Amino acid sequence: MLLSVEDVHAGYGPLEILQGVSVGVEAGQIAGVIGPNGAGKSTLLKTIFGYLRPTTGAVRLDGRALAGLRPDRVMRTGLAYVAQDGGLFPDMSVHDNLVVGGHTLPRRRAVRAAADEVLARFPLLGERRRQLAGSLSGGEQRLLALARALMTRPRVLLLDEPSAALAPRYIDRVYETVAELNRGGLALLIVEQNVEAILAVAHRVFVLDLGRNAFDGTPATLRGSDRVRRLYLGEDAA
Amino acid sequence: MSARRVGLLVAGVVAALLPALLPHPFVLTLATQAVVWALLAASWDLLSGYTGQVSFGHAGFFALGAYGAATATKHADLSPWLGLLAGALLAGLVGLLAGFPALRLRGHYLALVTLGLAEIVRLVAQNWLALTGGPFGIHDFRSFPGLPATALGQRQAVYLITLGVAGAAVAAMLWLCERTRAGQAFRAIREDEVLAAHLGINTTGWKLLAFAVSSAGAGLAGALYAYYINLVSPVVASAATTSLVIGMAVFGGLGTLWGPVLGAILLFGLSEGLRFVGVVYNLIAIGLVIMVFVIFLPRGLAGLRSSGPGALRSSE
Amino acid sequence: MLDTVLEFAIQGVVLGGLYGLFAVGLSLIFGVLDVINVAHGEFFALGGYLAVGAIALLHLPAGAGVAGAALGAFLLGLAVYPVLIAPLKRRLGRRPAGPLYLVLTLGLSTFLQSSLLAVAGGDYLQVQSYVRGILDLGVTAVSYQRLLVLATALVLLLGLFAFLRFHRLGLAVRAVAQNPDAAQAVGIDLPRIFALTLGLGAALAGVGGALMAPLFNVYPAVGFPLTIKAFAITILGGMGNLAGALLASFVISLAEAFSVMVIPSQWQNLIAFVVMIVVLLLRPQGLLGRARTR
Repeated sequence: MLLSVEDVHAGYGPLEILQGVSVGVEAGQIAGVIGPNGAGKSTLLKTIFGYLRPTTGAVRLDGRALAGLRPDRVMRTGLAYVAQDGGLFPDMSVHDNLVVGGHTLPRRRAVRAAADEVLARFPLLGERRRQLAGSLSGGEQRLLALARALMTRPRVLLLDEPSAALAPRYIDRVYETVAELNRGGLALLIVEQNVEAILAVAHRVFVLDLGRNAFDGTPATLRGSDRVRRLYLGEDAA
Repeated sequence: MSARRVGLLVAGVVAALLPALLPHPFVLTLATQAVVWALLAASWDLLSGYTGQVSFGHAGFFALGAYGAATATKHADLSPWLGLLAGALLAGLVGLLAGFPALRLRGHYLALVTLGLAEIVRLVAQNWLALTGGPFGIHDFRSFPGLPATALGQRQAVYLITLGVAGAAVAAMLWLCERTRAGQAFRAIREDEVLAAHLGINTTGWKLLAFAVSSAGAGLAGALYAYYINLVSPVVASAATTSLVIGMAVFGGLGTLWGPVLGAILLFGLSEGLRFVGVVYNLIAIGLVIMVFVIFLPRGLAGLRSSGPGALRSSE
Repeated sequence: MLDTVLEFAIQGVVLGGLYGLFAVGLSLIFGVLDVINVAHGEFFALGGYLAVGAIALLHLPAGAGVAGAALGAFLLGLAVYPVLIAPLKRRLGRRPAGPLYLVLTLGLSTFLQSSLLAVAGGDYLQVQSYVRGILDLGVTAVSYQRLLVLATALVLLLGLFAFLRFHRLGLAVRAVAQNPDAAQAVGIDLPRIFALTLGLGAALAGVGGALMAPLFNVYPAVGFPLTIKAFAITILGGMGNLAGALLASFVISLAEAFSVMVIPSQWQNLIAFVVMIVVLLLRPQGLLGRARTR
């Protein structure tokens, strides 16, 4: 297991959101996390990446414990995180956003090379290189956030609702890229509200409900269960 | 009777008997000043700690009260008793007026605007010679009538008057905050102003009241100060005064009213005590106290009595 | 008439440079840390004292004095985050800070000012001009010292802007100001950036103090009036907005300089505060708008 989360409890002060959650991502896999609002999906990613400290449980990358590390340390182990709102720097250009994304790269040359590589993957962004990130459309911003996360060639990419508030055109583009990246060897852990989108690409899906694991399996297994379909996939059983 | 009530009662009795217990003019002068600071700190806490509208301009209202009282007695020949009223009313009125524009400001901005206002008061005091006597201030105005002839007697009487007036004012503020709807509204505004407004609380009205009462209290302290020291100068409006008051309130415990009273007396005592070591070290100590308390004891001395998350919002 | 106007203009511009050094540093600290540094004036005062000490006591050349002031202030500024702000942050956790950071820096200000008083005494100190001579402009004249102040201020500020705009570390600073969570996500070490920012802001103020030493007096409380005026300036320019702080510095300094034509000079200082209050009531985002923060 490349990235494993074992029985993690976490929350905000007295309010415990994750009450013993376990998920896992194998190398080269796409794992999805779905569930109703308030289930703790975003909190799970934040805990893995270090914004929250779990009260109990373990988070491991390649066996190495991550729990308790700050986000800037976690990302150096090979994780990358794209927040729900994209986490861009609105008053910086597309180019500068990428340069900051390469903050941990040792040389300016490496940063430039990485930026070129990433922009080749997203020609749309290449055209808007000098534009301020805050002035991009929602879809373009999401692609930029994705691009920036790729600057350091992470091993596992955590995405928080990558399709939220996007036009279908951009949702397709995002998931095309996700599939491409995965074919290239990148493992992904994707939290999604858009169940169809994630079921189409994931190898394994975890269902969270009220801070606990409710179900997990392949997309086929999920679709095969009447209960899961009814409760979480939004379809009527009959 | 709760421990706090007993403590307050004992403190009150000791305070009242002080002229008899320690009949030295110097001690009584210090004690009078401590009482003035206590009133100043409590009045600041009402607005900033209790209602959550942090003001950095308290020195301005203090100065308005001091100058108001001195001018009333010197130029309008009013009795100091009326002078006390004049000082408090002037400061309270200006505070109320300042409250209107301040309604729209939160956090940093409110603090900075009030700081600016106090600076304006100070600059006016320093430069408007005809009105305020300029940098030298106002000094030849009489104090309370009918004081005993001896130096000691005078000090004793002035101390008792100051204690009585300030004590009544602090008691009134405590009553307002703990026993009336106003206090409930203040606490609600401090906790979550938006929610309070949604719950139908007239946040505008109550905030203005807090401004008015707080500044009137500061003005009263200023007037008492004027009559006991018989000199007002622009220095009273300096930011150092505000800094000291805030330090006392933080030391004693924000949002409790009685905490700042205790903090004022203790910190003033510490400050005066250190003066014997070296005039400058008292301010160094004050600065240290503020920093250490803000980091390690943000609830001040008052917070030491209670612990746990429930006591974070203190009001008993 | 022209010579008077020119004289006022020069005075205003030179003062604007000084204000700029001070206000830009203050604005930078606010933009990145979200903390208003009430003790900023004490970095200014420290810079003045270090310059006086280096030049008058150690007989070092003026350049060394100014550089020493910058370094000394920088080091002190570096220390403020780990020693004071970080512990408070840790204790607060997720709870809202309210006035606590303001009160903390207020305590620091009191502590530093009275420490300066204890160490250096309350006398008004001064040093000789770093450069002698006057530039004759025909209609009026300006001392080289004042020109030096202006030139140094502009060069340093330009350097700061260039650093923030082009250097990788400068980009990191801006990133933290715009979105600290995202900055962490790309691997930026927040405490290091916070400390660096405070150091830079303090250094700018320290240089200001060193440059001012030959023109005005150095005494422990010299920084405080400037601090509160700088609050007014940063609000006018838009809190956290560096270009705004610089612009507002000149607006205020020129207004003060020309105001003596209509009001008695001792009322000059009122201008900044009146402007601040008006701005806060009418256009709180300032001239150039608040820099976008969380």
